[in-house]
Amino acid sequence: MGFIGKGLFEGMVVTARNFVGSYFDKERMVTVQYPEERVQVPENSRTFPFLVFDEDKDPAGTMRCVACKICEVECPPQCIYIVMDRDEKGKPQQRPKVFDIDISVCMQCQICVEVCPFEAIKMDNDYEKSQYGRFDELVEHLPDLLKSNEYYNRIKPTEATAVDAKLKVEKEKKAKKAAPAVAAKPAAPAPKPVAPPAPKPAPAAAKLTIPEDAPFTPEQRQWLSGFLSAVSVAGAGPVAAPGPVAAPTGETPVQQPAEAAATTEAAPAAEAPAGGWPWHDPGMGIQQRLDLAKSAPLADKLMAAMAQTDCHACGYDCRGYADAIANGGESDLSLCLPGEAETENMLKKLMQETGKA
Amino acid sequence: MIQPLTDEKPYTLTPGSDGVIETQTLEVSIGPQHPSTHGVFRMDCVLDGETVVALKPVMGYLHRNHEQLAERMAWLGSMPYTDRLDYFNSMTNNWAYALAVEKLAGIKVPEHAEYVRVIMSELTRILNHSCVIGFMLQDLGAWGTPLLYAFRERERILDLFEAVSGSRMMCNYMRFGGLRVDMTEKDLAVAKDITAKFPRFLDEFEKLLSNNEVLLARTQRVGILPKELAINASISGPMARASGVEYDVRKADKYGVYGRFDFRVPIGEIGDVYDRYYIRVLEMRESIKILQQALRDIPAGPFIAPEVKLRNFKIPPGDGYGRIEAPKGELGFYLVSDEGGKQPYRYHVRPPSFVNLTTLEDMCLGHKVADVVIILGSVDIVLGEVDR
Repeated sequence: MGFIGKGLFEGMVVTARNFVGSYFDKERMVTVQYPEERVQVPENSRTFPFLVFDEDKDPAGTMRCVACKICEVECPPQCIYIVMDRDEKGKPQQRPKVFDIDISVCMQCQICVEVCPFEAIKMDNDYEKSQYGRFDELVEHLPDLLKSNEYYNRIKPTEATAVDAKLKVEKEKKAKKAAPAVAAKPAAPAPKPVAPPAPKPAPAAAKLTIPEDAPFTPEQRQWLSGFLSAVSVAGAGPVAAPGPVAAPTGETPVQQPAEAAATTEAAPAAEAPAGGWPWHDPGMGIQQRLDLAKSAPLADKLMAAMAQTDCHACGYDCRGYADAIANGGESDLSLCLPGEAETENMLKKLMQETGKA
Repeated sequence: MIQPLTDEKPYTLTPGSDGVIETQTLEVSIGPQHPSTHGVFRMDCVLDGETVVALKPVMGYLHRNHEQLAERMAWLGSMPYTDRLDYFNSMTNNWAYALAVEKLAGIKVPEHAEYVRVIMSELTRILNHSCVIGFMLQDLGAWGTPLLYAFRERERILDLFEAVSGSRMMCNYMRFGGLRVDMTEKDLAVAKDITAKFPRFLDEFEKLLSNNEVLLARTQRVGILPKELAINASISGPMARASGVEYDVRKADKYGVYGRFDFRVPIGEIGDVYDRYYIRVLEMRESIKILQQALRDIPAGPFIAPEVKLRNFKIPPGDGYGRIEAPKGELGFYLVSDEGGKQPYRYHVRPPSFVNLTTLEDMCLGHKVADVVIILGSVDIVLGEVDR
């Protein structure tokens, strides 16, 4: 049956079959002559991230990125660097001034794409990125990163179609919401916008509550005042605060957010009042927003201090985060990424003021 | 000035007092830059003639601080880093980490996702084993041929991985509570096609190797690992099974949906290099069986548990150990979560190739230096995992 070298002989038959087959058998013809021939990469294939913009005429103006910095924070190897754009007065512009990705550090993990709430960053499938240098050449800046939605649709048709459909639905929803507010909204961010129908008795609501000499630690004081302000504005319950409580007129715009504050995190996306929160406009400066919310309860003031992008970088939308701080559910005041230090300092200030009041 | 060769010390060996030629042992450092060490790994061998009398594995040349890095970032952030542990088997690494987190956070994975995980991990096992055999043969001097046949088959599987997860090797495919994206019908059809065609390749591969006289002469009775030592040194995976230890985490733990599949665990008798080769061939055949069953039974359903948040994912304080049968052995992740729970307080990997490497000296003693290379090849190490 066997002879010495039978195994070797059989092995040679196999190699011979493979050798001949590499010319004729489709299963064994596997070599691709790369620069001349190219393998078509699958749709899911990913290399490095790029930023999507919508209209070819105005790439910088129609990019989806709002510089919320979620990707910068979540990027495991920390290869993204973002600076938000500001106008000459220092007002944030909701778009990046600097957006750098160091592709020598990027490990193509796609986590930035997954965490982006704006569908603004996507994975490219261009694999020919060689450069002659190792340093600046491998850092991609904003102009290199911007690519059109049409390009995105071309390289990843299935994914891009789904994204487009989702964005369309969101846009329609937004338009519907905004429609009744059009009349009440100021035509332009004028220096003194038309005053929203703010409640007149409210100013005292957030202030009075706890007497100066009451035996409370600052933390207790802070919690109590937040609690009382929420309860007093809601205008119900046995713990009615002394002094002029906001009258439960029912139709004041402050009413609904305050109720949301009382119901806490159960409903993080509180419904805006009919006219929308007047300060919920990322185009305004922080001071302008705070002026609008000057007479509103604490939670609204806190909300006005935020960047108004609803980017969910903190884990809530702007409303939810403000409510969570006001009712003591969230103690970290540094979570608003797009608002940067400005928001954090203002939140600290507001909370301190409340503690003293 | 160059001295003439006619000095008082001539270039001849002088017999010692007992009439035997005096010799010395020679210390040879193999690696860290040596093609046979599968990466940056060093072996300090002490040789008496050509025979190994002592061998010390030296590790750490590829240390990348994986565990400390993971303790500094969110739970999800270390998922792509696990791809880079054993870079041949990113799918199983993902699964082991996801399993540990799911255990710790008490997340239930949808059934469909469990099946896809089984499919991916068995495909990974196939590609790992076929390549390891190729590399082992390369170490024996079968330059290229078996390895490239193995790579040709591996390419089909990697193409599927790329179509599903987006990347050929750094898949980053699994998420806590499921998968990042679902496998489409088309992908499942490709997986079925691979499963159907692979046995033919395996038959051919075996014809090329299993009875080859050169392979038999070089591998049989070489690098024997006794059963007792395998158990005492907590060797796992194909290496332990080749030594006759009947242990497979898939059978012992029945993690995922492995309890539902009908497959056998091949056991070796002697524990030499040939057994370790042949165990892997048999395991590939069993993997094909599992794949056929999984692809037949895969239910429809969601691919990720809906309650799992991607961002601000927090885990209540506690600790947990998740382990799976990776192609190289038992791969485990030990995680501790503390106050806050935004990132691991402690993150430890139990890498199979590191533990399996500890018995290298015991297997090599008494063999020739040329055998050391095959014995190391049969352990199946990836330095990314050994050094972390």
